[in-house]
Amino acid sequence: MIAPELYDRARDTISAKGFAPEIQTKIAILLTAAKNVNAMVLSSAEVQPFFTVAHQFIHSQYFREVEAVALLARVTRWAGNPLLYAEGTTVVAPLWAEGWRVVLPPGPLLDPRAAYSGLALGHALLARIRLAPVIPAKTDPLDPFAVALLRIEQDNGRMLQTQIRLLKETGGDVPLAEREALVEQKQEAVDTVFTRFLEWLAA
Amino acid sequence: MSYTQIGRYQVHYQLVGEPGNPVITFLNGLTQNANLWKSYADHFVPRGYRVLAYDMLGQGRSSKPILDIKLADHPATLDALLGHLEIDKTHLAGISFGGTIALDFAIRYGKRLHSLIAMSTMPELTPQLEFLGAVMLQGLTDVGLPFLQAMLYPMNMSSAWIAANRDKIPEMKRAGYIGNDPYAMQNLMESFVEFKPLTPRLHEIEVPTLIMNGEFDFFTPRESHEVIRREVRNSRLLIIQRAYHAYTLEMPEVTMRQIEVFLDQVADGTWRGDQSVWIAAEDPGAEVQWLPFEGDWMRAIPVPAAAAAKGVPRVASAGKKAAKEAKK
Repeated sequence: MIAPELYDRARDTISAKGFAPEIQTKIAILLTAAKNVNAMVLSSAEVQPFFTVAHQFIHSQYFREVEAVALLARVTRWAGNPLLYAEGTTVVAPLWAEGWRVVLPPGPLLDPRAAYSGLALGHALLARIRLAPVIPAKTDPLDPFAVALLRIEQDNGRMLQTQIRLLKETGGDVPLAEREALVEQKQEAVDTVFTRFLEWLAA
Repeated sequence: MSYTQIGRYQVHYQLVGEPGNPVITFLNGLTQNANLWKSYADHFVPRGYRVLAYDMLGQGRSSKPILDIKLADHPATLDALLGHLEIDKTHLAGISFGGTIALDFAIRYGKRLHSLIAMSTMPELTPQLEFLGAVMLQGLTDVGLPFLQAMLYPMNMSSAWIAANRDKIPEMKRAGYIGNDPYAMQNLMESFVEFKPLTPRLHEIEVPTLIMNGEFDFFTPRESHEVIRREVRNSRLLIIQRAYHAYTLEMPEVTMRQIEVFLDQVADGTWRGDQSVWIAAEDPGAEVQWLPFEGDWMRAIPVPAAAAAKGVPRVASAGKKAAKEAKK
């Protein structure tokens, strides 16, 4: 569980500064990385449309992730400070590292374990990165950036159903505890990044 | 608060009070956590009890099962937690989902109990509850946790409470959102797919059992509590006046007082589990706390007990006996 105090501090900062370009940029850097990493993993299935019935769900999620990135790119008031992007890259780099571990050959297409690992990473990304609690209560309900955050978060919950169903119902002979441990391992990796992100956001 | 590892689960718990004193264990409902029992600990510890509260699996800071959890894992975890804490026996109180777990625990591990308090709960899914549960699950998966939270407030609390706390509710929802992971909540709700009614085994519960039901609880209505009263011989049904589902939160003073009266009766040997039906006093300071229920407790309008629907077994003399007791 992410410490509630971290959310509080990030929200206090946003309350004080508003959704300034610097704040929006930090959030957009994290979310676009999370979406792109998941899309990269999902893209492995794009070449196997008739290989599995799960394809339509994965295909759909792939494009929704790409849409979320496009939405963020459109609504974000990007900051002009190049240092911010450099810092952001270091914050999200572990997410990319996790994604690359999954897609490196043989990759999800040929290695069922990598495919399961990719679903586990997708589960962690969609379930653990939650930004609704950092939106101050007095935010204009029509603020485009806040609306986009809430829409993405709501969509994450729906998309997560694909990972939940596939992780529950696939996995072959691998015992449940071992499968849960794998997802937990991905959650810990994502939590570490998200914790660091919230500290960065609150700074 | 402390942590302990039980099998593959980490359990976040708090045990307060003097070692050696009798223990009361509280089980929370869905989307709740152990912190909500703090006022109960503050009440009962000075009265000579130890209070154990813990975040139920899937909630708060306890482990959140990622892919699966069985309902039987909950009573097994409580049994192991009591063992870890070297608590041989406890009084057990649970509300809503926690109440169902408490009933299950009383069936499976009855020898570990001094007594049982089942609040706003159900031993089986009535068709209404089954449909309601399906809607809640659909709301969680198709719309999201904020939807489920928004749905639960009016189902749990009275209009008066909502009106009085309208400004605080967004912050409460935010805290609940941070503390609960939707996938874990989903696992808990989906575990009911394999839920087998506890009703056929309720008769195995032998410990003194107080069943508490809010007068206006439409989430787990009277019929759910009536099943427990009917099947558990050593029981009494106590109706909390003007209460909805979550009276432990909305009316803590009244709830604590009723639990206290019950525990006193169990302790001094005056408890009589006769399956009778009572009404809790609205004033926790009132001299007489339990008033006998006259008439048909299954109806919302005053109907004499004799006119009650056929097929619902009743304790014929309970009303008269109760009236005599109250006079005493």
